[in-house]
Amino acid sequence: MKDLIDKLIQEKLAREAEAKTRRHFIKNCAQGIGGLALSSIFAGCDPLSSSPKKTQAAFSERDLNPLATLAPPYSSKVKSVIYLHMAGAPSQLEMFDYKPELQKFDGQDCPQSLLEGKKFAFIKGTPKLMGPQAKFKQEGESGNWVSDYMPHFKKVVDDVAFLKAVHTDQFNHGPAQLFMHTGSARLGRPSIGSWATYGLGSVNQNLPGFVVLTSGGNTPDAGKSVWGSGFLPSVYQGVQCRSKGDPVLYIKDPDGVTRNLKKSTIEAINKINKQEYLKYADPEILARINQYEMAYRMQIAVPEVMNINNESDNIKQMYGVEPGKESFANNCLLARKLVEDGVRFVQLFDWGWDTHGNIRSGSIDMGLRNKCREIDRPITALLLDLKQRGLLDETLVVWGGEFGRTPMQENRGNKKMAYKGRDHHGDAFTMWMAGGGIKKGACHGKTDDIGFSGIEGKVSVHDVHATILQQLGFDHEQFTYEFQGRNFRLTDVEGEVIKEILA
Amino acid sequence: MLKNSLYSNIYLPFIIVGIFLVQSCQTSEPVDFSTQIKPILNNKCITCHGGVKKNGGFSLLFESEAFADTKSGKPAIIRGDASGSEFIKRLHEDDPELRMPYEKPKLSDEEIDLLTRWVNQGAKWGEHWAYSLPNKVEIPSIPSEASFTTNLAADFLQNNIDNFILAKLNSENLTPNEPAEKNILARRAALDITGLPPSLDLMKAFENGNLSFEYYIDSLFNKKSYGEKWATWWLDLARYADSKGYEKDMERSIWQYRDWVIKAFNKDMPYDQFTIEQLAGDLLPDPSIDQLIATAFHRNTMNNDEGGTDDEEYRVATVIDRINTTFATWQSTTMECVQCHSHPYDPFTHKDYYKLMAFFNNTRDEDTPSESPVLKFYNPVQQKKVENVLNWITKYGTKESLKTYKDFILFTEPVYKSHFFKEFKNSVYDDHASVVFWDDGNLIAENIFTNKANYVYLNYRSHYNGTKMTIRKNNAQGKILAEFYINKSKENTTARFALNEINEKTDLYIETQNNSVAKEVNILNLYWIGFIEDMPGKNQTGWSSINSDFIELLNAPTETVPILAENPNYMKRTTQIFDRGSFMSKTDTVEPGTPKSLNEFKSEWPQNRLGLSQWIVDKKNPLTARTLVNRVWHQIYGRGLVSTIEDIGSQSDSPSHPALLDWLALRFMNEHKWSIKVLIKEILLSGTYKQKSKSTPEMHILDPGNELYARGPRIRLGAEAIRDQALAVSGILSDKMYGPSVMPPQPDGVWQTVYNGSQWEESKGEDRYRRGIYTYLKRTSPYPSFLTFDAGSREVCTIRRTVTNTPLQALVTLNDPVFLEAAYQLAKKNEVTGDIKESISAAYERATYSKIETSSLEALYELYQNSLSTFNEDPNATNEFLHFDENPTAELSALTIVANAIMNLDEFLTKG
Repeated sequence: MKDLIDKLIQEKLAREAEAKTRRHFIKNCAQGIGGLALSSIFAGCDPLSSSPKKTQAAFSERDLNPLATLAPPYSSKVKSVIYLHMAGAPSQLEMFDYKPELQKFDGQDCPQSLLEGKKFAFIKGTPKLMGPQAKFKQEGESGNWVSDYMPHFKKVVDDVAFLKAVHTDQFNHGPAQLFMHTGSARLGRPSIGSWATYGLGSVNQNLPGFVVLTSGGNTPDAGKSVWGSGFLPSVYQGVQCRSKGDPVLYIKDPDGVTRNLKKSTIEAINKINKQEYLKYADPEILARINQYEMAYRMQIAVPEVMNINNESDNIKQMYGVEPGKESFANNCLLARKLVEDGVRFVQLFDWGWDTHGNIRSGSIDMGLRNKCREIDRPITALLLDLKQRGLLDETLVVWGGEFGRTPMQENRGNKKMAYKGRDHHGDAFTMWMAGGGIKKGACHGKTDDIGFSGIEGKVSVHDVHATILQQLGFDHEQFTYEFQGRNFRLTDVEGEVIKEILA
Repeated sequence: MLKNSLYSNIYLPFIIVGIFLVQSCQTSEPVDFSTQIKPILNNKCITCHGGVKKNGGFSLLFESEAFADTKSGKPAIIRGDASGSEFIKRLHEDDPELRMPYEKPKLSDEEIDLLTRWVNQGAKWGEHWAYSLPNKVEIPSIPSEASFTTNLAADFLQNNIDNFILAKLNSENLTPNEPAEKNILARRAALDITGLPPSLDLMKAFENGNLSFEYYIDSLFNKKSYGEKWATWWLDLARYADSKGYEKDMERSIWQYRDWVIKAFNKDMPYDQFTIEQLAGDLLPDPSIDQLIATAFHRNTMNNDEGGTDDEEYRVATVIDRINTTFATWQSTTMECVQCHSHPYDPFTHKDYYKLMAFFNNTRDEDTPSESPVLKFYNPVQQKKVENVLNWITKYGTKESLKTYKDFILFTEPVYKSHFFKEFKNSVYDDHASVVFWDDGNLIAENIFTNKANYVYLNYRSHYNGTKMTIRKNNAQGKILAEFYINKSKENTTARFALNEINEKTDLYIETQNNSVAKEVNILNLYWIGFIEDMPGKNQTGWSSINSDFIELLNAPTETVPILAENPNYMKRTTQIFDRGSFMSKTDTVEPGTPKSLNEFKSEWPQNRLGLSQWIVDKKNPLTARTLVNRVWHQIYGRGLVSTIEDIGSQSDSPSHPALLDWLALRFMNEHKWSIKVLIKEILLSGTYKQKSKSTPEMHILDPGNELYARGPRIRLGAEAIRDQALAVSGILSDKMYGPSVMPPQPDGVWQTVYNGSQWEESKGEDRYRRGIYTYLKRTSPYPSFLTFDAGSREVCTIRRTVTNTPLQALVTLNDPVFLEAAYQLAKKNEVTGDIKESISAAYERATYSKIETSSLEALYELYQNSLSTFNEDPNATNEFLHFDENPTAELSALTIVANAIMNLDEFLTKG
């Protein structure tokens, strides 16, 4: 049965390649407006390129399998991205951005000059400055600062490149998370992971190309749109894989149905669908045949990759995993397994970083320390593990929140709060990247003495996106999708690659 | 499908090349701006010389700009003189710094020739076809020597649509397919009209010839399921959902709007009326309750309850969404770009956007958690009181006072909400909803008009008895206007207190005192203050009791739906242009107005949303009818006559059948009187629609997207239809209509939203088996199987659900308990004792409406035998698999597996 389908597919490809080569060439080269990203960035459009035929084959394969692997327009070693998002926004001032001067002003009124024309989510009137609540040390050969909230992280500090002066114009969680993941604070745009899988497909056809893992008890504030596909076809949206229940919804066979029985079922379906194709010649039917075979394989591959029990005790300890639970540590280990198995984009969201000081778990001195403890070991382990497997060079790891936190202590309702907290702050915060062609031990950007604004090497959310796309082999200005008569980009009309942190 | 977006537009170059070839031989032939010049300008020039950039001070977006002086002080185009025009000279330059297009390949000789001749012929500017509508369209006549036999032609030519289609097919030397078999056609039409397969009786009557096709589809149009099917489409545009969106994503009760849409389709409300009621029902004279519900169209915008958000910022976001959605829904035009700068290629200016904003900028809703204004639905007892109050005012008051009181009873507006209060002392604006007062607390409410009222209305929740509230004019030293005591209240309370009459706008100073309460303790939360003119008939007996009825109604708990309500004159907002689209930097003030490049805004129309909606449905509007017919066509054929259904404008694809598009649009307005049912019926009665959808690989290469319509439509069903169909053919679909949304089973743990305790509570009884349109849609976490089948989260207007084909979809229809239960029911109801093949054939025919073919029967029979032996080997498996059956058998289990396979066939999932 497989043979016949292959033959049908081959015939179809050959016929279509013939018919489409000419059309595509005319459309994209003569007329010069790409119907979609790939047609304009792809080799076939470049008059200097030698082999339009290859392009055509890739296009046709995509008709049958929208996640078929595509080469990026520029060569790149980076195959996968692991993006670690701390939802709620971690305090850079207690983790990586050391501000000894801020300690001197602890408890003093914030200067009016800083407050003029600024809007804060909760701070009212004149708040007081608050010194760092953590102790800092310079670590590694790079001598980059790391706080005692992250004691393990020093082992990998020389592998990461810090961005100390990232800024965003959003200061509420939902819109800021959307902006960080889709390049727009308004809904309707595709997420970075969707762009990546749309542009590159996925290596492993038995797994989703874009996987999302959540921890911390809640999904991110902005909801599933942060891994949505926006105007891109929904096949490029992130697939949430879960540690509890079915790892992917509906992946488990119904009770009482054996694997063999499912195999027979799919064989019968595909046999009849093949007849249908011979009658209607609709390539969608071939695609469906293909998808049913993939579904069958996915039912085996997904539970396999999502099972961390078979990992060695060594590895389990290194990450600090808790099998059977939903934890950030488990998700870090899963992220490694997923990229190892050829998943293109793995997105982790850990919820619980919103440290306003209104409750104990949301305090800068206690709650944040606990949250850091939850991520410190797993992140360190993830980088070390990727490195020891030779995967770090081809995996880009990104860490950050949706914004940072104020150097001022929050005074919600103009009152002293129960615990120490900091309000939302988008003017300057820290992110870091590692692996995937990133300069080791780099530190780019600098904030002022109290960490309020960036004073050197300021980078925007669009710049971060441009850099991620660049590492995957795209020019962010060329990587577009036409929708509603307009070419859309992840970076809209902005964004510059942060060259200072590239190896 | 992906393919469409990949290969859309592919014919355009051929057409252009074709024109070049013809034209270069006949140089005297006049050049047409719209079809020959504008495409070159748009593709090659306008990125740098258009709405965003005007390099060298030269823009080709509007005629006035194209012929104006550039930076050099001279115009770039000199009419009639190509060799003297910098515009042409620059195309020939050798110096790469001077040659245009800058840093891009040189234009082709044909393009340069066209542009040169255009300038020499006087550079006549023209409108893009999308921005004007012809008065009349000729129906193409089909010559008798048509390229296929007269017999077939007679079969095909069922109505005038077919003339347009056939004329194009003839010119491409193609012939249409023969008509589809009756059973196929019956299923296709039923799915298109009702979103469900036909009932067996109706189907038989048509197959037997007892019903003509026209009668058959008429009876489908008369079914209530018609409204449910087409409302599903409209609700995507309306971004209808059961939650507010954003971080908290709390529940919103707005299903009354969903029901309004279903009913509007079922009564075939003319599209012009349908439009006006949704955009401006509240501004119609003496609007009915239904007309107010209709305005919930624009209350489907999101509402941000996240802590620390600025209500004004999100109110503005809502207004922007309303402009964009209105233009996306009715005009196939993307206005989003124009928020920040003039449109890059369509003739809309930055200022146009804000003139449109001025239409939408004066509604009462302000992104508060209460979502006020919400229309209250009084129960019959309450309704009696409503009538008493209104009768009283009819008797003793004016028309104006009747409207004031009616509005206040129905939706409690206009009021001043607490987020505008200022200068808090011992009081604080408590994120979003209210102001908290402590002892000795005070604040200023700015710029208040008290309407000469002798009462102030307050909405509050008071936590202590004996709080004294004082209201003064202007400030703490001002004249006392009111002084009263507020006692403890469990719920939010609306009450009124005596007030000294004043007759001008003023600031109000509001103060609370309660000495019995400690400092910094929350005494009361104040939500809003309101002033309406006094109840008329003051000297009549019964005045006091009418007043207490009125207050009672204001406090009566009811069902609600958010609606639009316009600001009274004294609360009107001015609208200013946002510099680069940012609401923080406002510049010039603008008045409401529509883009000049479209139809004229008639002087008899009011300068508000009602006028705007009249402008949209004016027969001179070139986009409204085209947009509608194009999208209805897309619903049926899976592609539009303009394939970019989101965009009809200078960047859209050219229509595959331009004359047919215009003919349908004109006919829709003039002959069909905006009737959507009649439009759909006409499309379905065409020979084009009735064709077989069969094709050949060669045909697919010639016309992959079926743009020429040499075959009937063949597209995968939508998310809701896939589920509805499975429930329908297995006999478990509930036909219950309307009401709050329902929660059919979904896997555990899908809902996990921050700060929101709401739970997915599985519905009971028939509510588990309702049509998909009634399934609860939480924006941050939609019903998972619908999401997998390309339904969206309805956070913003969705014009197209891109159809995908993925393994996750296979997993839904194979493993989702909903589909297993349907398979079980299908198996059980078609089981023929002692005859397996008969059972399989019956189940197959029930599901697909086709007789099973031998090869298919063989395949399914083999599956049955495999299944049977598996279940026989392990009786436990039978019990597990059919755990809901009292006496599960291996035979029924095996047949259920077969039924599950049938419900996964391409034939079943596709409208063929």
